[in-house]
Amino acid sequence: MRILLVEDDTVLGAAVRDEIAGAGQSVDWVMRLDAASDALAGAAYDLVLLDLMLPDGRGISFLNGLRARGDVTPVIILTALDQVTDRIEGLNAGADDYLVKPFDLSELTARIGSVARRYTGNPNPIITHGPLEVDLTMRSIRLNGKPVSLTAREWALFEAFLGRPGQLLSKMQLEEKLYAFGAEVESNTIEVHVSHLRKKLGSKIIETERGLGYRLGKP
Amino acid sequence: MRLPHSLQARLGLSLGILLTLLWIAAALVTTVTLRHDMDRVFDSALEETAQRLLPLAVVEIVGREDAGVTQQLGVIRAHDEFFTYIVRDRDGRILLQSHAADLAVFPDYDGPGFRQTATHRLFNDDALQGTIRITVAEPLDHRANVARGILLGLGLPLLIVIPVALLAIMFAVRTGFKSLRRFRNSLDARNAQDLSQVSADDLPSEIGPLAATLNTLLERLREAFEAERSFAANAAHELRTPLAGAIAQAQRLRTETTDAAAATRATEIEETLKRLTRRTERLMQLARAEGGRLHSDHELDLRLAVRIVVEDMQRGEHAPGITLDLPGAPVLSSLDPDALGILCRNLVENAIRHGSDNCPVDVILTPDGELIVANDGPVVPQDHLARLTERFQRGDPWRDGSGLGLFIVAAIAKRTGSVLTLTSPRPGAENGFEARIALPQSAARADAV
Repeated sequence: MRILLVEDDTVLGAAVRDEIAGAGQSVDWVMRLDAASDALAGAAYDLVLLDLMLPDGRGISFLNGLRARGDVTPVIILTALDQVTDRIEGLNAGADDYLVKPFDLSELTARIGSVARRYTGNPNPIITHGPLEVDLTMRSIRLNGKPVSLTAREWALFEAFLGRPGQLLSKMQLEEKLYAFGAEVESNTIEVHVSHLRKKLGSKIIETERGLGYRLGKP
Repeated sequence: MRLPHSLQARLGLSLGILLTLLWIAAALVTTVTLRHDMDRVFDSALEETAQRLLPLAVVEIVGREDAGVTQQLGVIRAHDEFFTYIVRDRDGRILLQSHAADLAVFPDYDGPGFRQTATHRLFNDDALQGTIRITVAEPLDHRANVARGILLGLGLPLLIVIPVALLAIMFAVRTGFKSLRRFRNSLDARNAQDLSQVSADDLPSEIGPLAATLNTLLERLREAFEAERSFAANAAHELRTPLAGAIAQAQRLRTETTDAAAATRATEIEETLKRLTRRTERLMQLARAEGGRLHSDHELDLRLAVRIVVEDMQRGEHAPGITLDLPGAPVLSSLDPDALGILCRNLVENAIRHGSDNCPVDVILTPDGELIVANDGPVVPQDHLARLTERFQRGDPWRDGSGLGLFIVAAIAKRTGSVLTLTSPRPGAENGFEARIALPQSAARADAV
């Protein structure tokens, strides 16, 4: 999953970025609304984490503009404004969730997961795929009832496939979901992670369309 | 006598009384003047009559063959005599008298001029060196009757005109006060917490400045509340953002370190920062409860704010089950949603803190605007219950809490005119605690119920 973080506080922004990156998602961090606009114009994001009080404007106006343009990218507001009216305003502007600072990073991860699931059309955090039982909240997978452990990158990759069953994903798309802008990506990284997933979850779990990309195997 | 409070009634009353008094005074002056003039006219007629009659009487008496005989003049045609007269000689013998002359009326002759008895006005005159004396009498009743007629002529219209005039005054005053009454009604119809401007377009110039002052005052009050709100938002941002950063960094440190001691320290830092967060939050809430704005200009559905707060807390990490019971229909109130949020959050946090572990907290909003937060837990002694809403009172010193929660709730309740009732054990149970707060309802609804 590729996430855009809009936060002007360097201490909090760094911790959030590291937390999300640690969970294997790719995250781009910008500190201003104009930079956020540029980033959204330049790449497809699965989620935006939006602070409301930024040096060059109010996050609410930014969100209103985003929704007015027909952009339905999920948005979670991260803000210090804790009043009920602030929340109502945020949700009315089209935010998918509202998290008041300070928050637990684990809470943030859970909210990101829940918003992402809402958008992939599967609000149920437990998905059964053939012999696999996947708990998206707990990030645990059981193969024939036995737990399998995945690294953060492998999990992020697998989640990308689960979110779009049957859809062909190019190598470029998968790299975007795993890595932030400007990160050094080895040319064969995706192949390596796919082969690890096949090793752990079964060879049929991911199908390869040679030269085009990958898709989730039929259960 | 106390004047009525209504300016309209006062004006009507004083104008009416003044008009009546003026009218009566004018009538009295007219009567007195008229009476004086009338007397002069009547006296002149009396005198004239005597002087006309005297030469005739003299001629008649001197021409008589036998002197000293009284002659009463016969009646030519029946008529009422206003004037009666007698003619006497020096010895008082009556020589001539008018037909209706009553001798008892006439006192002894004592020289020419006007005389007055209890019943009559008289005029004496004489001729031939005082040997023939005439006295003409006019009953005073006559004059009084005429005067009464004039008085009635002046007074009767008064009885009709004064009520008409009073009605006219009332009508004029009412019309004059129309814009003022509209102004009053518009103030009456306003929500007491409405800070929007009042319309002062058609007010008379006497009251216009008052409305202008009121509007300036409302504007300043609104600005003060806005300033407080914006300060609160800025302060929240300035305090919460660095706290959020520090807490997040402590959590990252705990995740990233492999050193158990460092992880413990990171946890301690995190806990302290969270405690600091709660304290600052409470102090902000306290400032709001004691000096900030607690009412909004518009009525809003209370259910929305309660749902947002409770759903937020249900997602919290350590929250036990919070059950939420909302009515099906909107519950309208002018209570500020943020103030309601503070109320609700503090009551639920209090219930979680002091309730038994893992026991659910019930949050109920009744259709008539009562917010009830109840939990199971140890019974709070009665004397302790009364002190719970005091500042820095801790229900149980061993648990974490700044002791401000219920004080903030009580402060908001007091300033919004809501009734806060704390009960323990909770009604219908043997233990537990219930906080019940009757939130301010919309005026229309309160009337309808």
